Amino acid sequence: MDVNQYLEIFLDETKEHLESLNTQLLKLEQEPEDVDTINEIFRAAHSLKGMAGTMGYKRMQALTHDMENVFSEIRNGSMKVNSNLIDTLFQCLDALEEYTSNIQETADEGTNDNQQLINQLNEFLKSEGNAAPADEKPAESKEEVVDEAAEKWKDIKVGEPERHVFTTAKSQGKNVYGLTVYVQEGCLLKAARAFLVYKAVEEKAEIIVCNPSAQDIEDEKFELDFSLLVISEHSLDEILQAARSVSEIEKVIGAVYEFEAVVIDESKPVQTLETKPAAASQAQSAPAKTNDKKAAGKPVVNRTVRVDIEKLDVLMNLVSELIIAKNSLVSASNTEGVTGSGFNEQIEYLESVTTNLHESVMKVRMVPIESVVSKFPRMIRDLSKKLNKKMELYMSGEETELDRTVVDEIGDPLMHLLRNAADHGLESSELRIQRGKPEVGSVYLDAYQDGNNVVIEVRDDGNGIDVNAVREKAIERGVITAEQADNMTEKDIINLLFHAGFSTAKQISDVSGRGVGLDVVKSKIESLSGEVEVRSKLGEGSTWTIRLPLTLAIIQALMVTVGGEKYAISLGSIQTIEDVNPSDIKLVQNSEVISLRGSVIPIIRLSKELDIESSKSPDDNLIVVIVKKGEKLAGLVIDELMGQQEIVIKSLGKYISKCRIISGATILGDGEVALILDANALI
Amino acid sequence: MDELRVSDIKASEVKMEGDTVQYIVIKLGNEQYGIDIKYINNIVRMQHITRVPKVASYLKGVINLRGEVIPVMSIRLKMDLPEDEITKATRIIILKLEQHGTIGVMVDEVKEVVTLGVDEVEKVSYDGKEEKPTFISGVGKHDNELISLLDLNAVVVEK
Repeated sequence: MDVNQYLEIFLDETKEHLESLNTQLLKLEQEPEDVDTINEIFRAAHSLKGMAGTMGYKRMQALTHDMENVFSEIRNGSMKVNSNLIDTLFQCLDALEEYTSNIQETADEGTNDNQQLINQLNEFLKSEGNAAPADEKPAESKEEVVDEAAEKWKDIKVGEPERHVFTTAKSQGKNVYGLTVYVQEGCLLKAARAFLVYKAVEEKAEIIVCNPSAQDIEDEKFELDFSLLVISEHSLDEILQAARSVSEIEKVIGAVYEFEAVVIDESKPVQTLETKPAAASQAQSAPAKTNDKKAAGKPVVNRTVRVDIEKLDVLMNLVSELIIAKNSLVSASNTEGVTGSGFNEQIEYLESVTTNLHESVMKVRMVPIESVVSKFPRMIRDLSKKLNKKMELYMSGEETELDRTVVDEIGDPLMHLLRNAADHGLESSELRIQRGKPEVGSVYLDAYQDGNNVVIEVRDDGNGIDVNAVREKAIERGVITAEQADNMTEKDIINLLFHAGFSTAKQISDVSGRGVGLDVVKSKIESLSGEVEVRSKLGEGSTWTIRLPLTLAIIQALMVTVGGEKYAISLGSIQTIEDVNPSDIKLVQNSEVISLRGSVIPIIRLSKELDIESSKSPDDNLIVVIVKKGEKLAGLVIDELMGQQEIVIKSLGKYISKCRIISGATILGDGEVALILDANALI
Repeated sequence: MDELRVSDIKASEVKMEGDTVQYIVIKLGNEQYGIDIKYINNIVRMQHITRVPKVASYLKGVINLRGEVIPVMSIRLKMDLPEDEITKATRIIILKLEQHGTIGVMVDEVKEVVTLGVDEVEKVSYDGKEEKPTFISGVGKHDNELISLLDLNAVVVEK
């Protein structure tokens, strides 16, 4: 899992905890015995450690770990607070602050181990723990005695500090228990279950040792069991009850934990520290230096603000208005013959500012599709088990960015297509081997930008679509008649899959095949002004291609005239512009084509499509704009080229929505409205 | 801009009674029609209309109204009258209707604003024999002249 998305939260919370630690430590120095303060400090240090561990900042974790040990000693009363200790702890806080600022600037904690500080902390601990030096051995020998494998808590290696804790607890009349929790086999969210158990136990008892570590449990780095050593005032039964209340837990066993008591000598003074001030000041100066060096660097993480998407829409509209106003200025300066190069310079400057402004506003709205697709590998793994087919998902282009509103909507259609690929597309393992294909089926999810579109492809190397089966099914379902079917191309028949209430799965499975699916996918994508297309080869697999507009509001367009009317064509779909002699136009199956650099391209006369007389005579050379839609090319015949312009897309409104080849309108610099041709619909 | 404010039009005989409705009187050919003023957003002079291909003939196209693209229709064509002749008096009345949004209608001339009391309006009873759809919701009497009051939803609704 990529933790970068949590970086900001981490930084915010870390700063909060450090602040609280600072104030609480000061308070502790004033009132060394205040239990609430100590508890507060312990909690903050513990959270810091956990957070640093989760984010993978090992050095930070190590330092906070040792600090936590010290705090825990203080809390248990086995260590006295003195000003030396407080000084060292403040230095630790400074070091943590240094880590934090490093992380903010470079996303890395830096290389300073702060070993001196850790050593100092350990000196403090040692000076307290000296009283029980020989405890390690007996504990280990005990492991060999353990004969019942289930009671794994007995295997936990217990260090001195823990034994201190146990001893103190016992002396306070609390009980020390060992617990081993077994999670059910096949439990899906082991970590979550374990966490719930952990939480449940924590309510009744204080968890001193956890094996594997709480961190490993959170990361699912454990088999089916984990063990805890806890101290509690409650009875063992109560704790076991709490742990067992979590579902998908096989069993929880526990007993009173036997340990070698430690003799606590509280009167033992802290001596070793007196020799350390020099080292401490050294440690302090080192971080200061590195701070100076990095201050100039640009912070990696900026402060963020959550903004309502509606506010962004308003901003976007204002930018659109600005661009229209700018275009008016440009055309006014051209027609009214404003002289002086200064004016033109300023216009150009304004132009670059508005373009940048537009791009920034668009970028604010763009998010990578990663947030949607990151859940798919897990889904495919589950499907693989459920369907008993071996399959692997390969993804690329997760970083491709799309407008926020589109990303939010695209998840479901993609999930449908992936499920389809897994369920209908891929053959069973046996069949694959029989057909000489690799046993493990492959499903691909590729996203990439193509001109002004973003293309997302879902591909599988499975069976492909059986056109005959689809045809029969369609006739059987009454979607088409047998006569109609005879006249349909393979492509038309495959497109029937998008027809509402159509499902070819012979067995209705749990995964897909309830007849809701592809038609929903299609309407969803069309509502995002996108398109979905399928190509398939029987026996080799199918490819579903989703094409979505990258920008929803402002595009670069080529302005052309047809029969005296102005039209805009999105620059993103234009390949080239060609000058074609009328004699080069050939007829193939009664439609006009040209041969261009080896490929045959159909010609679309826009004057005919737009019901208007071309202003050019038939003998003149034709200006042909070659547009591209996926793999397909087409040549649009226009009358005149006007030039390139940044245009703001305006909707034609509900009232005029029937015109398929017009995707919208824009307002030109002179206030006139020009229509935007949808090249995709023309092809 | 090429706009006229509603208030600029000479408001003759504005009655201050309770149950009255204000209408803008327009001319189509020789007939006078009234449009309920509450639906009128704006009245603009004739300007270049961008034709939209492949739509019903009565839809003349779209215009730019202060940065918004607004469709414009011809009432004449919708009512099967001869096509509009664009003159200096031709205006586009911008209507704001709940169901259809903002839409412009072309009229030959905008004459005045009149205020009609309920008693001055006669409801038109629907005659089932009539072939043409009716666009009139009632007839108002004003200064010995008859004003046909337009049923805007019927005018605007798509055929």
